[in-house]
Amino acid sequence: MGVQVLAGTRKGLFVLTSEDRRSWELGGPLLPGWEIMHAVSDPRDGTIYACSTTFTYGSAVHRSADEGKTWERSEQVGLPEESGLKLEKLWHLTPGREGEDGRLWLGGAPGVLFRSNDGGQTWEPNEGILAHPTREKWMPGAGGMCCHSIQLDPSDPERMYVAISAAGAFRTDDGGETWTPVNQNVAAEFLPEPYPEVGQCVHKLLLHPARPERLWQQNHCGVYRSDDRGDTWERLDGNGLPSGFGFPIMLDPRDPDVAYVIPEVGAENRVTVDGRLGVWRTDNAGESWEQASNGLPDQAWSVTLREASAFDSLDPAGVYFGTQSGSVWASSAGDEWIEAARDLPPVLSVEVAEWQS
Amino acid sequence: MAVVVLLPSLLAAEAGGRKEFELEAQTVGDALRALPVADLLFDERGELRRLVNVYVDGVDARGHGGIEAKVAEGQTLRIVQAVAGG
Repeated sequence: MGVQVLAGTRKGLFVLTSEDRRSWELGGPLLPGWEIMHAVSDPRDGTIYACSTTFTYGSAVHRSADEGKTWERSEQVGLPEESGLKLEKLWHLTPGREGEDGRLWLGGAPGVLFRSNDGGQTWEPNEGILAHPTREKWMPGAGGMCCHSIQLDPSDPERMYVAISAAGAFRTDDGGETWTPVNQNVAAEFLPEPYPEVGQCVHKLLLHPARPERLWQQNHCGVYRSDDRGDTWERLDGNGLPSGFGFPIMLDPRDPDVAYVIPEVGAENRVTVDGRLGVWRTDNAGESWEQASNGLPDQAWSVTLREASAFDSLDPAGVYFGTQSGSVWASSAGDEWIEAARDLPPVLSVEVAEWQS
Repeated sequence: MAVVVLLPSLLAAEAGGRKEFELEAQTVGDALRALPVADLLFDERGELRRLVNVYVDGVDARGHGGIEAKVAEGQTLRIVQAVAGG
């Protein structure tokens, strides 16, 4: 089994391929000149989708059905005039479930979600998020009010989750018609009331694919796990992590108790803890954490953005992340990290796809 | 009026590699909206993006009627990305 890592950077999309997850070939850049906020290969048909943006020309969705040789651009993605909002940036794209032909989900700022039913040719804003009754309490984080996490429940076609910074996490049980805030026990220490209904700054939210009632999140204010579809959350960073602040989170698709985070000093000093690029791993659902940094540089202050981590479904599971200093790191189960690429432009996003060798 | 529109490299790549278009247009806006990259030049309200500059025979359209300005036969419109970004 081979793997393909899509590394979206500030200057184009790079493609890393490997047969053994140890030696890597680098291809690209594709879409030169574009910032690739997120790129993903649709497991249903191999189409690559990219959320692309430039300072000058705004955001677009590019798609390629021939592994990046040629690209098409979606029709313009925008918001209706009556919303009073304009699209600021596109952040994240999630393909629909197996059997949902043509269905895609797209998140962006200011706190917006879109759906496509035609393979990304056209996009419709989700009214339930756009007109959410709590929207006036949402606020943008440093990266804008981005909808960056879109998680589909594989066990229920009507259930999915989104997370928005800084609005919190939301769950729909009716296919996206209505959205319930799911932020109980999640801190918003930057607000006067530290446990509000909404306003939490989720940095990344993931659903465990083999146990979909279990969610993990790396938040501005801690690392959390929920075992009841987000109804309640347990804070986990006091159990041995050097800091609760960070952006990425990675999972093992076969073991719901495993997670990886990359802590940073804190919101006011967003660098690695102790000047070391450190990955921390739990194998007991967050009861305790241990360093899993073998192979990573002893001295490094470079950080990993919210979209710049991924995991594969091989056995043992591979975990991947990219840094602002242009490296992409790969590891099998966190045992030993290999620098799959270096000296790229700053890495904004990492996704992984697999193929049969 | 037949005018020529010249695209910078990123837009040309989005237009299938074509850097030059000859179009029929009455105004600057007509010419830009006829391009296959119009969605990158205008936002969803139809407003020209802030960092997109258009020069008509070397003169910045922004101070001379903007996208409503009339164009004349044979004029050349050059789209230029403003000095910004990183």
